[in-house]
Amino acid sequence: MTTTHDFTSLYDARALEYALAVVFLALFVVLWRALEAPPREAVAVRRAGWFSLPEGVRLHPGHAWARLEADGLVSVGLDDFGHKLIGPLRDVQLPVPGTALGQGRPAFRLAADGASLPVLAPVSGVVAQVNELGRRAPGRLHADPYGTGWLLKLRPHRGLQANLKQLLSGELARLHMERAAERLAASLTPELGALAADGGAPVHGFARELDPDGWERLARQFLLTDDVKDGGES
Amino acid sequence: MSDTLALRPALRPWLREKLLLGRGLRDYLRGFANPADLFTLLVLAVGLPILVARFAFGLGAVTNLSQQTPWGLWIGFDMLCGIALAAGGFSLAAAVHLFGLRAYEPVVKPAILTGFLGYLFAVFGLLADLGQPWRVWYPIAVSFGTTSVMFEVGWCVFLYTLVLFLEFSPALFDWLGLRRWGRALARLTVFLTVAGVMLSTLHQSSLGALFLLAPERLHPLWYSEFLPVFFFVSAIAAGLSMVILESSLAERLFRDRLGRAPHDLDQLVLGLGRGAAVVLFAYFFLRLQGLARGGRFDLLSGTWGGWYLLELVGFVLVPCLLFVAGVRADDASRVRFAAALTVVGVVLGRLNVSIIAFDWAAPVRYVPSWMEVAVSVTLVTLAVQCYRFVVNRMEILGRTA
Amino acid sequence: MACNRRIFLKTAGAAGLALTAAPRTQAAARPDGPAVLVDTTRCLGCHSCEAACAEQNGLPAPAEPPFDVFVQRRTTTTSAYTVVNRATEAAPDGSERYAKTQCLHCVSPGCASACPVRALEKSTAGPVFYHADRCIGCRYCMLACPFGVPKYEYEKAVPYVRKCTFCFERQAQGLKPACVEACPAEALQFGRRDALLLEAKGRVFAPESAYLPHVYGERESGGTSWLYISDVSMNSLGLRTDLGELSPSDRTDGALSAVPVVMTLWPPLLMGLYAFAHRRDTRGAREEERHV
Repeated sequence: MTTTHDFTSLYDARALEYALAVVFLALFVVLWRALEAPPREAVAVRRAGWFSLPEGVRLHPGHAWARLEADGLVSVGLDDFGHKLIGPLRDVQLPVPGTALGQGRPAFRLAADGASLPVLAPVSGVVAQVNELGRRAPGRLHADPYGTGWLLKLRPHRGLQANLKQLLSGELARLHMERAAERLAASLTPELGALAADGGAPVHGFARELDPDGWERLARQFLLTDDVKDGGES
Repeated sequence: MSDTLALRPALRPWLREKLLLGRGLRDYLRGFANPADLFTLLVLAVGLPILVARFAFGLGAVTNLSQQTPWGLWIGFDMLCGIALAAGGFSLAAAVHLFGLRAYEPVVKPAILTGFLGYLFAVFGLLADLGQPWRVWYPIAVSFGTTSVMFEVGWCVFLYTLVLFLEFSPALFDWLGLRRWGRALARLTVFLTVAGVMLSTLHQSSLGALFLLAPERLHPLWYSEFLPVFFFVSAIAAGLSMVILESSLAERLFRDRLGRAPHDLDQLVLGLGRGAAVVLFAYFFLRLQGLARGGRFDLLSGTWGGWYLLELVGFVLVPCLLFVAGVRADDASRVRFAAALTVVGVVLGRLNVSIIAFDWAAPVRYVPSWMEVAVSVTLVTLAVQCYRFVVNRMEILGRTA
Repeated sequence: MACNRRIFLKTAGAAGLALTAAPRTQAAARPDGPAVLVDTTRCLGCHSCEAACAEQNGLPAPAEPPFDVFVQRRTTTTSAYTVVNRATEAAPDGSERYAKTQCLHCVSPGCASACPVRALEKSTAGPVFYHADRCIGCRYCMLACPFGVPKYEYEKAVPYVRKCTFCFERQAQGLKPACVEACPAEALQFGRRDALLLEAKGRVFAPESAYLPHVYGERESGGTSWLYISDVSMNSLGLRTDLGELSPSDRTDGALSAVPVVMTLWPPLLMGLYAFAHRRDTRGAREEERHV
């Protein structure tokens, strides 16, 4: 079907087309910002082999990290190695605010693919805040393990300085991660070996890759919780 | 029996391992006693005789096509929708191999497989529809109708199906034990991806251009000079949505194959949802531009206007907003639902252009016969079964080195 | 998602939009091409043309009146390349009018432009010719023809398209088409298109003429070789009047012209994106990352 109109109506017709395009461009800006990933807290990231470890973060040998915040609370989470070890999280069981945690004792549990893995607390303290993201979208925690992926905020006990001395930071922390990575490299399967050769990141959930049947035990070994019985928290 | 064994001593066990997944024939066949496979057998029992009848007695015996309506369900759905829904292949290949979005690597191979099977079965649908399907190769090698959009569609679909096969073949060759061939072909990836994007741009848009020459027959709300652009952009949205749906389904159905180190599918789904949101948003405004260019806004009142708005708002704008909402809330299931709406919307859009809003004012309207529907169902079912066959045997799902 | 993807899509869209905007090359009528002038004021409705066409093409004898559906419009079929219908309006003087319908052998035929194998081809001699040995049966010609002319043999296992041939072979021998030869009332006049256009306009615009001031086929759908003049409306004769002056091939011109542009621009654009996206993929950069 052809539409005929006199030339003067073309001014309005073309103007409408331009207007639509301008409206689109304006709304597109809105759309793009609506779709952006949530802002990450700025952390200076240094890499330790395959895994990231930023400045200002202290590492527990069981792969929990602690950071002293400006308001006196201590942020706690699982480090990059731990996240990649376990893989996509189905659920995170965090203690309720008010719970007392002891350094080196089980603090929280991470559920992944049918297994429930306890993680040791890096410092002693009382739980003040719990990250909602852990309840809402546990699968997103690993994207920013030291920023938006924090799990707990503790009000530390008076013995905080002594606790902190037990933790690794700076060069020692990096060495620990690298050594864990080397232990990992020593037990590589051929496929992961190929990945390592071209510098790729390890598979998310590499414990399962290494030992499909006994991955839970392997993970607990790295998390230093292989002796923790189920149901035994602080 | 001993003679054949002596000639190819390894053939029978190799066949058993490759085709029957290492099981005995009787044991393998017994595995067919489940609802999905029995449904497939039923579909085939109905569909295959119809196809035989179609070739023995002509199109008129099986379809409701007429002198007034030369194109029906097999072109409108199997061809036009099939090719749109297979567009995930070039979209994901471009995202991973050209744009460097390596995070989506785990879903490239399933997308290529879906693409390859989609195109293959779209061509089968075309073969059912052509009056003389044994001549399907004529535009390639016998006589060139260079003025025709369909000539270009034919060539591009032919070349692109080849490209898809080559992109899929490393998995095939690995399965057959010919790893060297697979490695050699894998080196062509970037070239094949560029060719694939170019060919897909051409034929996805040309499927829309097919209808440019019939403005009197297509309802003015759907007819636009921008039809090629509409078809191309909607194909991208359809492709992304199909990858979302098919990878989510595959993860649930083939969990045992995925046993080793599953990737974080929800993250990928959210990322794909982001892309789909942007594409659908642009597509929505492009459709509005089409209405503006044709001066058609006054036609939006009335029954046809309502139907058009249902397609544009309900199945383009609404899924777009759902994608945005899902991404912001980290809700992968909302994204999956939006993907399903998008797929329905693209199918509806293509059916509108080819069948529903086509010859909209004719006194006698075309309705597909049950036999046409049966054949379409048969082709889709066969495609799904091929997908299962391949996924159960070849390295498609799960991470590859 | 990368901005690159969006830029790519926008570029593609813009290119596509720009190129679909206007037709570029338009086919022109050969002034000396063969044409037929149909003067419906002279047509008796005797159906001699139908009989002659059937005999010439080896088709079954056409149906004889009275037709049980005479009041409805008959269409051409796979075994009747031309039919004569009565107009739904009466002439100003009350008499009945009839019009013969068949392939109009357009100047820029939609069927020929649509055919992927040139089975339907606009011959240099003028008629739109059907090569049965090329046809694959895609039926795109049926979609493309604004007049609904090509008919398909759905009932056969090896089907073909059937339509008026303009008596191609007779013309090659210097003869007129069979229907023109058979017409007893000189309603059909065969000759050069430009001459017939002049003749038609002469009749139509003569002082005191009863004809409607329009020569159908001069410009419809790019122009046809069968021209109609009448003193009743073209619609009542069964001829579509909602066709513009653009031929079907004019409408696909823009889209087709984009094809070589895409084939030229896409590879460099995409490889540019690839290079940009992989600019860090050098060994130096990777080593820097591995070093703590």
